[in-house]
Amino acid sequence: MKGKLLLRATLGWCGSLLALLVTACAPSLPQRPEQLAYPPLEFRIPPVERFELANGVRVYLREDSELPLVQITAMIGSGALAAPPDLTGFDGLFAATLRTGGTAAMPAALLEERLALLAADLAGDMGPYATQLGLSVRRADLAEGLGIMADLLRRPDFASDKLELARRSAREAVRRRNDDPDEIASRLLSAALYPGHPLGASPTLTSLDAVTREHLQAFHRGHFRPDNLWVAVSGDVRRADLQPLLEQLLGDWPRGGPAVAALPPLNPPRAGLLQVVGKEVPQATILLGDLGLTKEDPDQYAARVLNFILGGGDFNSRLMREIRSDRGLAYSAWSQFQIGRRYPGPVMAGTETKNASAVEVLGLIRRIMTGLREQPVTPDELRTARESLVNSFVFSFADPHAVVVQRMQLDFYGYPADYLERYRERIAAVTAQDVQRVALRFLHPERQQIIIVGAPDENGAVLESFGLPVRRVKAEELP
Amino acid sequence: MLTRCLFLLTAVLLAPVLALATPLADKVVEHRLGNGLRLLMVERHDTPTVSAYITLGVGSVHESSETRGVAHLLEHMLFKGTTTLGTTDYRAEEPLLLEIEQVGSELDRLRLQPAADPVRVADLEARLKTLQEQHKAFVVKDAFAQLYSESGAVGFNAFTSKDMTTYLVSLPANKLELWALLESDRMKNAVLREFYTERDVVREERRRSYESNPDGLLYETLVSTAFTVHPYRNPIIGWHTDIANLTLAETRDFLRRYYAPVNTTIALVGDFRAAEAVALVERYFGGIAPGEPVPAVAAVEPEQAGEKRVAIEFDAEPQLAIAFHKPTLPDRDDYAFDLIDQVLGQGRTSRLYRRLVEKEQLATAVAVYGAPGSRYPNLFVIEAVPRHPHTSAEVEAAILDELERLKNEPVSATELTRARNRLLTDNLRALRSNSGLARMLTTYQVLAGDWRYLVDYETRIGELTAEDLRATAQRWFTSKNRTAVTLQRKGGAER
Repeated sequence: MKGKLLLRATLGWCGSLLALLVTACAPSLPQRPEQLAYPPLEFRIPPVERFELANGVRVYLREDSELPLVQITAMIGSGALAAPPDLTGFDGLFAATLRTGGTAAMPAALLEERLALLAADLAGDMGPYATQLGLSVRRADLAEGLGIMADLLRRPDFASDKLELARRSAREAVRRRNDDPDEIASRLLSAALYPGHPLGASPTLTSLDAVTREHLQAFHRGHFRPDNLWVAVSGDVRRADLQPLLEQLLGDWPRGGPAVAALPPLNPPRAGLLQVVGKEVPQATILLGDLGLTKEDPDQYAARVLNFILGGGDFNSRLMREIRSDRGLAYSAWSQFQIGRRYPGPVMAGTETKNASAVEVLGLIRRIMTGLREQPVTPDELRTARESLVNSFVFSFADPHAVVVQRMQLDFYGYPADYLERYRERIAAVTAQDVQRVALRFLHPERQQIIIVGAPDENGAVLESFGLPVRRVKAEELP
Repeated sequence: MLTRCLFLLTAVLLAPVLALATPLADKVVEHRLGNGLRLLMVERHDTPTVSAYITLGVGSVHESSETRGVAHLLEHMLFKGTTTLGTTDYRAEEPLLLEIEQVGSELDRLRLQPAADPVRVADLEARLKTLQEQHKAFVVKDAFAQLYSESGAVGFNAFTSKDMTTYLVSLPANKLELWALLESDRMKNAVLREFYTERDVVREERRRSYESNPDGLLYETLVSTAFTVHPYRNPIIGWHTDIANLTLAETRDFLRRYYAPVNTTIALVGDFRAAEAVALVERYFGGIAPGEPVPAVAAVEPEQAGEKRVAIEFDAEPQLAIAFHKPTLPDRDDYAFDLIDQVLGQGRTSRLYRRLVEKEQLATAVAVYGAPGSRYPNLFVIEAVPRHPHTSAEVEAAILDELERLKNEPVSATELTRARNRLLTDNLRALRSNSGLARMLTTYQVLAGDWRYLVDYETRIGELTAEDLRATAQRWFTSKNRTAVTLQRKGGAER
């Protein structure tokens, strides 16, 4: 009580002093943003410490002692594309069983008990190119947490009962894959853009049933090696403490030589098609897609600007403005150019609108895409997009752990050394002509993939009028 | 700077020696403007960015039955600009806005009349459309979004909950004054333009979040079934007919009545100097009239007279949700429920996961959480996804059996320690990002009346015993206090 009274009294004094200062320095309040002048932003890309263990483990560290927490990402440089072909769903089963299956030294139940007592977060994930374990622990528990993580990396048990549990859960997800319209649309789009390729395949009951514990163990033997391991660490730990700990846990793990996986070639995407998946919901989910570009592509900067103007820039984008803000036809309308690391990523656009306006909205999206092909973007649009992308760059570095993981991934995927340093100037150099050229290259209304899930009102053959073949199917008939 | 010292003093008085308390209590700087606006600040100089949260202690719970959905619709409308931003010339625009409102209100009235003249309706619709087209000449589209975006800001957004409404953005540190200018302008001079289009946007949002999505439908049904009297029963977004009939006058009234400094908490977290931020906020917000405090909700949910049970149909595989009424913070039972939530449903060592997912394999997932708000007595909710061929009934029986266990035997010492560790460590994790910390501060300031709820939390959690948890479970996990909702395909049969 005493403390509170004191506080209030002092604040009052402080406030009136400031009021005096304000009156003295600023007679009138700016009314419009143009009246403001900003100091320059002092920012440099935060450094990340790098070192390597004798057996080839690459370690990235950013110390940050504000909170007594440490976060670790351990990445094996092999993922789903290195798994046996036809075992679609191997990725999910491997990651789940690695995470939950215990180790040779510590059975699964005991391991979970320890993690729970430490309130540690441990997660496993397998992407197309890499497999990750992520750990968050309190500073005091670092040695134990890191010990468990190292044990899982080196000596996972892949306990059979945990594989079966993961398999049953994945089978149930297959049974439920037509519950959510978004999920149906994404699945059909991947299949159309990457036909006959692991990137386009979704698990089936058969493919899930084919995965054995031996498959998991073989993948581990072939790819989990110190010279294929990358570790990113952030938080309240110093290198002087971390390095000996890692040496102790991982130092006697012998090198295994390169674990290179061949990348299966892509087939050309399927011919343009409009698929209507019938589902009894009041809104139609619309998704459009085509193949885009890889990180080697010099057009990636122009593509980022194009994406911002098309649908990546939220209310500053044409899709959001025309579909939502001008016409009230949707809550969200978006586009995305995923820059592929090894293969071209998808170019996508999507929205949801009531069934009665589905045809109108699809027409609008295609018209907006055609407009970007036919006319250069306006100087205002170009300015907003470039300034937003350049000025928001600083937010890529706001989360210390994201900074370390980003540095590690840039190295792993072989980005040029000056990628981050030159990013802003490359965005700033994009012209309206560049944007139009990239629109002509990536937006193809005449041959794109379109998926509509819902019960769109189609008065007659309206959907056919878009000039693409139309395939109609009910959700429950989908394979 | 003086304020900072005082907070150190406060910290010492509370003797917060444990995990969360220390990092937080000695970092928060608090300042109260003369008009009642509360400013909470944490300086962090690692990256030149600032996260700014403005939270108003008003939400859908403060609507009347005539204005369901208005808090959320207003939140949308406050992105449409002010008398100086978002318009080419407000003086010239204003008469047109008035005319649009007259035609729009007349149209809304007519549409509700069964005997309305269809020709008259069509005429008004055409007239409204023409006026809206004319109005476009005055609109500078989405001016806030453009200004923020060009400045490099990210995460410009807002959310409405049952209890409060928050406007948030993160900016490069050198643009903090832009935030002060735009947000104070929005508080003082908002213009609710493009209203009728935005009502349609909200109806699309409703279709997307609650009508085309089984999870949303299950949740909405659970909450609207569990409450009979308290406005927690109403969806934040409103029902379709609510949204379609909200008027500009009602929306404006809600704004004028509640959006005032006395109901406002601002949190700034990031790379700035607190003394300078105080001066900035004083300068831009200090001149706004204090306004009237939001009144407390009078409605009290009566004790439930017996189980409520609903089966809903949707084109999806089965799911279920079970809820029990419970008190809210700072009731001792609310802290006990935080621990029960952990023991029962969080993580791979929790009782429901072990039994339903791992051992009996009746379900593939179990989720436990509190809902739908926290300012008034609320619900403890358990959701589960049955694993084929097991039924919702089997899953529910196993869940209820586990609740009986909680009522009949005390939780183990290990379970209690685990639960406490998890709650405190997760609170610590929530402080890592600037926006996470800003969210925690404004949320608890508004919900608990003081952000120091977070500082005291560890002590409160530490005081509770296994016997307390058992008593809490016995008080609230009764069949009479239960609401159960199952979702399945048409016909009700589980395939």
